[in-house]
Amino acid sequence: METVVQNMINGIMMGCIYGLIALGLSIIFGVMNIVNFAHGDFVMLSMYCTFWVSSLMSVDTVATIAFTLPLLFIFGILTYYLIIHKTLRQKYITQIAVTVGLMTLLRALAQLIWKARPRALPDSIVRGTIVLGQYTIMLSRLSSALVSITAILLVSLFMAKTWPGRAIRATSDDLDAASLMGVNYKWTFALAFGLGSALTAIAGAMLMTFQQVDPTMGLRFGLLSFCILALAGLGSTVGLLISGIIVGIAESLAMGLWDPRARSLVIYVIFVLVLWLRPRGLFGRK
Amino acid sequence: MKPGFKKLLPLLILLVVALALPFAMLSNQYYLILLTTVILYATLASAWNIIGGMAGQFDLAAGAYLGLGAFTSGTLLIRWNITPWIGMIAGGLIAAAFAFLVGYPLFRFKVREVWYALSSAALVMVLRVVFMMWEQVGGPTERYIPFYDWSFYHLRFRSYIPYYYLILIILIITLWLNHRIRNRKLGYYLLALGDNEEAAEILGVDARGSKLKALMIYAFIVGVLGGVYACLYGFIHPNFFSSTISLEVSILGVVGGVGITYGPLLAALILVSGRELLRANVGGQLESLYLVIYAIVLIVIALFRPQGIGSLLQKAWEKLTTRAAEE
Repeated sequence: METVVQNMINGIMMGCIYGLIALGLSIIFGVMNIVNFAHGDFVMLSMYCTFWVSSLMSVDTVATIAFTLPLLFIFGILTYYLIIHKTLRQKYITQIAVTVGLMTLLRALAQLIWKARPRALPDSIVRGTIVLGQYTIMLSRLSSALVSITAILLVSLFMAKTWPGRAIRATSDDLDAASLMGVNYKWTFALAFGLGSALTAIAGAMLMTFQQVDPTMGLRFGLLSFCILALAGLGSTVGLLISGIIVGIAESLAMGLWDPRARSLVIYVIFVLVLWLRPRGLFGRK
Repeated sequence: MKPGFKKLLPLLILLVVALALPFAMLSNQYYLILLTTVILYATLASAWNIIGGMAGQFDLAAGAYLGLGAFTSGTLLIRWNITPWIGMIAGGLIAAAFAFLVGYPLFRFKVREVWYALSSAALVMVLRVVFMMWEQVGGPTERYIPFYDWSFYHLRFRSYIPYYYLILIILIITLWLNHRIRNRKLGYYLLALGDNEEAAEILGVDARGSKLKALMIYAFIVGVLGGVYACLYGFIHPNFFSSTISLEVSILGVVGGVGITYGPLLAALILVSGRELLRANVGGQLESLYLVIYAIVLIVIALFRPQGIGSLLQKAWEKLTTRAAEE
């Protein structure tokens, strides 16, 4: 019983980060109906950037967000203008091919620059554990979860209250109508891509406070965020967070109670079941 | 001469060159390895063309079927000393049966486009984990296939030449299948589905059945190749369920030109030999440099020439054959 609860606590905390990652994906997917296959590799890239900034400039892991967030934002915008923009009117197989190419590129570049061995950072300012009765909570994980929830809330506020946020939502709802209302769709798309990729910077930095990074983990994160997106459906931010937590708990229980290697199995099973049974997700509106 | 013969002449020349190549390279083992690798990938990519190119389903599970074939054939040989000639076919059948099990519900529930691509990519990861955990068959250590100097029964040869010819035969069968499917009802169905699935279904195309057939044919070929793959490398390991191989195969398929019969072959000739030469000259230090190049080529081709480099070949071919017909 204790193991179950302990694993669930860990899973909930991981799930918040997963929700944040999936939010980035869902903004991009929702707005331009393009699926960024490389999204998980953006997370991987963010983690390496965190590693890089932190070890080169000897800043604390959490503080690297100040560098990596703008970096990933610009990277996202560049990716949009250089690559994604040209595929908007193409057949979907071209779009998949291009983002699969991007994913391969990022993975191979990471292997080239940082080599295949996993990298980790020394403890950040958030370290240590809280002991609650028989359960221990790692502070690094807890703060990651809190940061993720805060980021999700901020993004929701941005989407609801500010003009660019509304433009993004309007474009997701109806591209033509939004264009007629004076929304510049190119600009909105670029912003959405930048935002989606900037969110991975936050997730990446927080993940680095308690995890190591290796070049092949991108696909796992990609799959994870697609699984969460499929579970949540489009358009519900709270749904994404809940789905993230569901997936986090499932993964954590599988790892703790069965076999650490079984995590991708569980994710796949959830993913496929959702695709079969509820193609629009649990919370989707479209 | 009949025009039909002239049309076939370039193909015959190609075949003769392919048959003679190993003899031109007898002195150099390295070129033989290169040649074998190239046609192995060419076959994988040509098989991918059936599901990815014609049916338009961006499949990323080549590694899954390759691994299943390798494990079937390898396990049969290691455990019960059953010849890989049977093992290959068994591997192909198991891969195809597995493709059916996975594909039936996927197509039944209309999972397609990016969701299909994702679930196929996930399949590779899952099978890798399953075989890592399944100690009786897989497990984290390599299982070696008994070594023989020159045994036809065990499909173990010291030279690469027999493997080359074996894969060449599979390649020719795959190309022939490609050609045959393309000019049959199934091919037209698949092409229509790849173009616009809704429209095709309204016109009465059996989307589920056609896609399932394409997927199973592809899985069968890749499974058979898996059996050869295991004997070629001399061991089986869960890392055979490789997402990198799956990515490479789909890249070759797209770069070669979706739905063009000889496109993937051309792409494999250029890209895989480029990769191997790069690997030999730059060395292990920059092992993944080739993937960077692959990825850039894929992005550039997909953006600026979505019909692939195979379309160039097709144009040249048409010119050649029309001229031949005029004479």
